[in-house]
Amino acid sequence: MAGLVPPGPTTVPAGESKKAEEKTDFMNLPCPIPFEELHREALMSLKPEAFEGLRFDFTKGLNQKFSLSHSVYMGPTEIPSQSAETIKIPTAHYEFGANFIDPNLMLIGRVLTDGRLNARVKWDLTDNLTVKANAQLSNEPHMSHGIVNFDYKGKDYRSQFQMGNAALFGASYIQSVTRHLSLGGEVFWAGQHRKSGIGYAARYETDKMVATGQVASTGVVALSYVQKVSEKVSLASDFMYNYITRDVTSSVGYDYILRQCRLRGKIDSNGCAAAYLEERLNMGLNFILSAEIDHRKKDYKFGFGLTVG
Amino acid sequence: MAAQPRRGGISLPERRSASKPDSSIIARITSSPIVSRGKQAACDAAFVSKKLLRSTGKAAWIAGTTFLILVVPLIIEMDREQQFTELELQQASLLGAPPTAPAHP
Repeated sequence: MAGLVPPGPTTVPAGESKKAEEKTDFMNLPCPIPFEELHREALMSLKPEAFEGLRFDFTKGLNQKFSLSHSVYMGPTEIPSQSAETIKIPTAHYEFGANFIDPNLMLIGRVLTDGRLNARVKWDLTDNLTVKANAQLSNEPHMSHGIVNFDYKGKDYRSQFQMGNAALFGASYIQSVTRHLSLGGEVFWAGQHRKSGIGYAARYETDKMVATGQVASTGVVALSYVQKVSEKVSLASDFMYNYITRDVTSSVGYDYILRQCRLRGKIDSNGCAAAYLEERLNMGLNFILSAEIDHRKKDYKFGFGLTVG
Repeated sequence: MAAQPRRGGISLPERRSASKPDSSIIARITSSPIVSRGKQAACDAAFVSKKLLRSTGKAAWIAGTTFLILVVPLIIEMDREQQFTELELQQASLLGAPPTAPAHP
C-alpha cells in the first residue's frame, strides 16, 4: 500500500527540510487525521445538512452507555427524475434507534418505518487497530449494501483497508511529512462496475488555517481552504473541478459558533445559497432552522426541527 | 408629362410629387426624416428600458432573497450574543461587588 504514494514527497530526508527556523523533531510527528476526514473542516462549514420539512429527534439515555432515539420526519422528498425539473413527493417516517457507546465498542442501529435498516459498528481491537462496519438494508432489491473497514494507526501514519459488497475493495494511506503537512493516497476497485481509481491528497494545517487538496483518477480535483478568523468565526472556501465532465463548482461559506447558537451559511457558484441555524433554547433542547435557495433551478427548501437530548 | 395633351379626350389628373411646396404642413412634418428618426429612437429607448427594468428587478430579487437568507440571521444572532454578553457583564459587576457573595455560575 505504501507504493501507491509517489516516492518523492513522502521520503524527504530530515536534514533537507526547509523549515530551518524551528527544530521539528521528525521522529515525533503527530498522527494525521484519517484519510476520509481530510476535508472535515471544509465540509462542516460548507455542507450543512439542509433538509425540507419538519424534523424532530428525541434521544433518551437509559444508562451511561446505552441510549434510545426516536425521530420523526415529515416533508417532501426529491425523487431523481430524467427530466430537468425536480419531482417532490411528500413523505413521512418514524425512525427508532438504539446506541451503545463504550470506549472500545460503539454500536448504532436505526430502523425506519419504510423498511430501511442502518447499522454501524466501530470496534477498537487494540490501541492501533480498529474495525468499522456499516450496513444499509432496504426492501427494494439491489439497494442493500455493506462496507467493512480495517484501520491501522501507526506512530505518524494511518492506513485503511476497505471491503464492501458488490466486490468493492479500497485502501488508503496517509503520512505526516512535517508537523503541519500530511500527504496520502488511496486506491479502489469496484468489481461490479469494473472501475478502479487512484487518488492523492495533501493537507496543510496550522492553528489558524487548514488547506487541503485532492486529485483522483475519477476526474475530481478538489481544493479547500478554511481560515479560523477568531475563536467564534471561521470562513471556508472550496473549489471542485471534474476534468472528465468539465464541471466546475466553487463555494464560499462562514461558520459562526456563538454561545447560544451555531450558524452556517454558504453560497455557491451554481447559484445556490444555504443557511443552517442551530439554536440552543434550553439545556438539551435545540431548535434547528434550515434554508436552501437555488436560483438557477428555482428550487426553494425550508425546514425546521427540534432536537431533544 | 402633365403638360402634353392626350389624344382622345381623357386625361389623367397630374400626379403630385412629394416635395411639392403646396402639400399640408402636418403631412410635411410627419414625413420628414427627423421625425421618423425620432420615432425609431423612442421605440428603441422603450425596448431597452423595459429590458433594463426587468433585469434590474431580477437582480434585486436575487440579491434580496440571498441577503435575507445569509445575512439577516447573522445580524440577529450577533445582536443576541451582544445582549447576552452585556447581561452577563452586568450580572458579574452586580454580584462581584460584595465580597461575601458566592460566585454565581
